Amino acid sequence: MTSIADQPPKPVVDDRRWSAERVLVHVILLAFVVLALGPIFVVIINSLKTTPAIFGGPFALPTAETFSLDGYVRVFTRGNFIANYSNSLIVTVSAVALTVVFSTLAAYALVEYRLTALVPILTGLFLIGVMLPIRLGTIPIIKIMVAWGIMDTLLALILVYTAMSIPLAVTLMMTYFRTVPTELKEAARMDGANEWQTFLIALPLVRPGLAAVATVTMLPIWNDLWFPLILAPGKANQTVTLGVQQFVGQFLNDYPALLAALTLGAVPLVLLFTVFSRQFISGLSQGYSK
Amino acid sequence: MTRPATARWSLLLFVLPALAVYVMFAVAPLVSSVVMSFFNTDRTLGSVFVGFENYIYLFTEPVVSARFWNALVNNIKYFAIHVLVEVPIGLLMAALLTSGALRRSEGVYRTILFIPATLSVVIVGFIWRLIINPLWGVVGFPLLGNQMTALPTISLMGVWQYVGIPMIFLYSALLAVPNDLVEASRLDGASPWRTFWDIKFPLIVPQFGLIVILTFIWTFNGFDLVFALNGSAPGPNYSTDILGTYFYRTFFGSSGQVADLDLGATVATVIFTIMLLVTALYFWLVQRRLRAHTV
Amino acid sequence: MRRISTGVTTGALVLGVSLAAMTSAVTAQSVTLTLGSWRTEDLAVWQDQVLPAFEAAHPDINVEFAPINTNEYNAAIQSQIEGGTGPDLITCRPFDVNNEWIGRGYFSELDGLAGMANFTDTAKAAWTFEGHAYCVPVAAVLAGFYYNVDIFNELGLTPPTTTAEFIAVLQAIQDSGKYTPLAMGSAESWQLAYNGLYSVGPAYWKGEEGRLGLIDGTKKLTDPEFVEAFKSFAAWRPFLPPGQEALAYPDMTQLFTLGRAAILPDGSWNINQVTSTGLNVGVFGPPAVEAGGQRYLQEMPDMAIGINAASPNQEAARTFLDWVAGPEFQQIYVNTAPGFFAMSNQAVTYDNALAQSFADLKTGASLTPRLALDRLSAGTPPLDDEIWRLLQLMMTTDTTAEQATQELQAGLESWYGPQKGN
Repeated sequence: MTSIADQPPKPVVDDRRWSAERVLVHVILLAFVVLALGPIFVVIINSLKTTPAIFGGPFALPTAETFSLDGYVRVFTRGNFIANYSNSLIVTVSAVALTVVFSTLAAYALVEYRLTALVPILTGLFLIGVMLPIRLGTIPIIKIMVAWGIMDTLLALILVYTAMSIPLAVTLMMTYFRTVPTELKEAARMDGANEWQTFLIALPLVRPGLAAVATVTMLPIWNDLWFPLILAPGKANQTVTLGVQQFVGQFLNDYPALLAALTLGAVPLVLLFTVFSRQFISGLSQGYSK
Repeated sequence: MTRPATARWSLLLFVLPALAVYVMFAVAPLVSSVVMSFFNTDRTLGSVFVGFENYIYLFTEPVVSARFWNALVNNIKYFAIHVLVEVPIGLLMAALLTSGALRRSEGVYRTILFIPATLSVVIVGFIWRLIINPLWGVVGFPLLGNQMTALPTISLMGVWQYVGIPMIFLYSALLAVPNDLVEASRLDGASPWRTFWDIKFPLIVPQFGLIVILTFIWTFNGFDLVFALNGSAPGPNYSTDILGTYFYRTFFGSSGQVADLDLGATVATVIFTIMLLVTALYFWLVQRRLRAHTV
Repeated sequence: MRRISTGVTTGALVLGVSLAAMTSAVTAQSVTLTLGSWRTEDLAVWQDQVLPAFEAAHPDINVEFAPINTNEYNAAIQSQIEGGTGPDLITCRPFDVNNEWIGRGYFSELDGLAGMANFTDTAKAAWTFEGHAYCVPVAAVLAGFYYNVDIFNELGLTPPTTTAEFIAVLQAIQDSGKYTPLAMGSAESWQLAYNGLYSVGPAYWKGEEGRLGLIDGTKKLTDPEFVEAFKSFAAWRPFLPPGQEALAYPDMTQLFTLGRAAILPDGSWNINQVTSTGLNVGVFGPPAVEAGGQRYLQEMPDMAIGINAASPNQEAARTFLDWVAGPEFQQIYVNTAPGFFAMSNQAVTYDNALAQSFADLKTGASLTPRLALDRLSAGTPPLDDEIWRLLQLMMTTDTTAEQATQELQAGLESWYGPQKGN
């Protein structure tokens, strides 16, 4: 670990001087920010309006006449929003954690022991998984869950999502482990570290990879509608995406409630992302180089 | 170097948890589905092995094959728009974030620009449909109702949502670029533009290549956004039909179309084969060369 | 290495605990049935009205209404049943899709069920396979035209009864310059067929005569009566709102409820929504071809309930369906979900005035279901999907009625036995 702390600090930009270059960077990024947040802002203001007002003037702010919290009220009275929330959180956090742990171990080994004959086959097997349309396996997956007696449980979802995320996670982590200098690991082994301890020494160097993997894994899991519908449709196990669906009818949508539910449903992921990216990426500013 | 025997055991122990979960809940179910594509399930006869009959049907039945090729061509366009718009913008964002011109605001920008990627397609579909709606929105032209503009419009909605992904990938790659190299270039009087293209970019080319091929895989597995906007028979006149919706319609049926599990499995196998070939080709031809170049 | 093995042990432990938690849950006395449905918006209807009435009479049977989003319904039910699970009670789609499901053995046969006597063969037809009944009919829907009574009064218009009058009314609204004549868009092609062609078309192809003619192969889509029907629908195009190519179903409903369009071609299922803003709404049926000519009305068997053959609760499920077939259920359902009409031969009254006006349209009209869902959509390309697609082309490009019907006929002939070699 000591070898990392010794790295030179990141060059400091003089933040008192507003050069033309800095202004330009801010202007471009602010333009992107407006593009990214504008539509989201429209969702939020419309979640606070009545249905006729949503369509009558979608970009108007709610007025005294059109303001309505009914959507939010219905989300909390009609649905099981709190339960849905905690189900989604349990599933997402567990699956992401399992994915990150399992795939980091696997990726380290596939890079570290690359001379072993099995490695190309295993690497290829994981790589193929990145391309698999997992929906195709729906029916056999149901059969497995029924056989294991875990149909309609959160565990079924966690297992499928972990399996679904591992291939990409392993493939990504391998690219990060390749950047870890061999000398570092060899030095550790010289000092008498076993394979596990060597792994732990290499681990801090792939932190940005962990962030990327956690982020990319988390998104499709949180927003997935298909497997909750199929594997855990029972009331007690419904996730947020499934809870939101009750406001989407065959013909009749409850727009204020739908937009309210979608707004609330998006919050945890934004928070999770903020946490993940802080946790992993900010560690880099101490300085990290090859 | 570790001794071969130790290496073998360590390898197995490290890989085992990932491999077990992956094989049990992804590989095995998918393999048994692929097997279905060689069978014909009939309500009276049960499952009968038919060899490549489903494949022959897929490529010779006029309507079925025409729709397949249409979906494939659309999917190529869908990918092209993503790669030409999403990846460069993501790179620009990542470059600006790591340009050294930002301090405390770096994390704020990074988080905000990523937010659209965290949204569900239900929001994305709803809000963009509203914004570009000829009645209520800001665009008078029926973008989604025209065969020429519908697919590019949906693609750009996808770009809006997912641009944060290439951004975060390339951002984390750029962070790993050694500072001493950048400093040296700066001291040589190189402009930030030159520093980026001469020093930083060559070092992240492998990750850039990776995000391109991942974009290929994601767009060829694409489904959710098109389905959320246009359902399982996406119009007008199937102009927004991509392989994912084509597969869904075949495998699960639509309101007016009866599901065909065997043919659906065949379609999925073909899609998978296409992706496998392209990806393999990419890795053999491009990615290896990239790595050789930078190391 | 030790840490990895503890990780694996913990994993196994978590797995074991959850397995144990699962098995302890199923030891209650009464039976709980789940009812799968695509009617998400009926959640309150079932939870607050229908199921309490049933459970009051049958305290030993609980029923849980478990709706699935319409778009995913078929896929979800199929996957669950193929995988060996699925709800005890399944809501049945009409005709071809359901026939496929029956053929695959998804449903238990209902022949001996006493309540089935309350339905005529016509009412049961959409869910009868090889002579056996598999689902208890729940509701049919009608389609017609909602109109804004205030706009009609303001412009001095009366509901049209013939095609010529209908076009004249549309023209008068157009000329007023204040309102969009027809609230309709082409983005969702299904509703061009269900709310458009299948409403005005039967007057030309003479309802059942034309539909059954296509089924037995004696008529073709290129016959003049079908081409005329397509033309009559295409005549709506000048009266649609600007940008209609990209307007979806919710857009047209909102355009009407905001009072900006005079007429909404739509199904009875949308009654709640069109009246939600307190608009003064009336309804008229599809016009006859000529004055004094026969009127036709689309009556579509929409919904029925069957029993999952793999359900362990067959007896309780039959008890429930017997109740669904009876008058108590029909009366509650049609009045809590206005716009859905009872299919049994027992008398039912409608509390909702607009639902009653819709029901009144049946008087003197010849009833016919949607053109292409029975047998004609059981192959590739399915006629119903193709009609959606070609109507969309007719309303958004320069495709003509002649071209559309020719393409449809060619598609049908390519696989449908009775139409081959014509």
